[in-house]
Amino acid sequence: MTYFVFFLGLGFVLGGLGVASNPSPYYGIVGLVVASVTGCGWLLSLGVSFVSLVLFMVYLGGMLVVFVYSVSLAADPFPEAWGDWRVVGYGLGFVLVLVIGVIVGGFIEGWKLGLVTVDSGGMFSVRLDFSGVALFYSCGVGMFLVAGWGLLLTLFVVLEVVRGLSRGAIRAV
Amino acid sequence: MSLLHLSFYSAFALSGLGLAFHRTHLISALLCLESMMLSLYVALSIWPVENQAASFTLTPVLMLSFSACEAGAGLAMLVASTRTHGSDHLHNLNLLQC
Repeated sequence: MTYFVFFLGLGFVLGGLGVASNPSPYYGIVGLVVASVTGCGWLLSLGVSFVSLVLFMVYLGGMLVVFVYSVSLAADPFPEAWGDWRVVGYGLGFVLVLVIGVIVGGFIEGWKLGLVTVDSGGMFSVRLDFSGVALFYSCGVGMFLVAGWGLLLTLFVVLEVVRGLSRGAIRAV
Repeated sequence: MSLLHLSFYSAFALSGLGLAFHRTHLISALLCLESMMLSLYVALSIWPVENQAASFTLTPVLMLSFSACEAGAGLAMLVASTRTHGSDHLHNLNLLQC
């Protein structure tokens, strides 16, 4: 089970690499989905299932869906997949940076696996993350209201940025 | 450094490099930004588990709500760029002329 979590951590890095090597955005989204699915699996193995589900629903099911249909604005007639030589060049360059960074930073000498799984914690206890996020409504209500206000403000920001006819931010016509 | 810490650390660094070495599309840069936010979310979620401090579990959820604001603003700029220039290619954003 420990090595499966290590595999999920590796999948997280590979998803990030897939986004960073700048293929066509259709394929960059695939890298982001892989990274978020493996990240969710990793958080599940640690036992914090609530933040994992929040990641799945809000990030993957909300924000990435919005990104996917915004990618339709960026349509290429001939999209570069990961087999394209420019993308492979970027990918290899980033892998080289990663390997050199790990070697020079000395991250391999004292390597340890880190936090491992919660295999037998039982179900009859108050879980860490459920009780923590519930503090949003009691002690952290100030930040809750600030976050809600920020999200409401973002709606108006978006409305004003995409408004046209010389009232918007980037519109030239 | 433990291997799982190295995992999100290197995912963050790779996404930051991908944002810096952007090529054609604005939305690829926005996707790299989202990937940085994802690695930050995982990092902030691991911290209360390691320190067994439940109140820090607020932090990743709060960060996610602010990152949703940022993603919305970035996509609004993408739409504005497409409606002005016809595509979201980054060479269209050339007002600084450098």
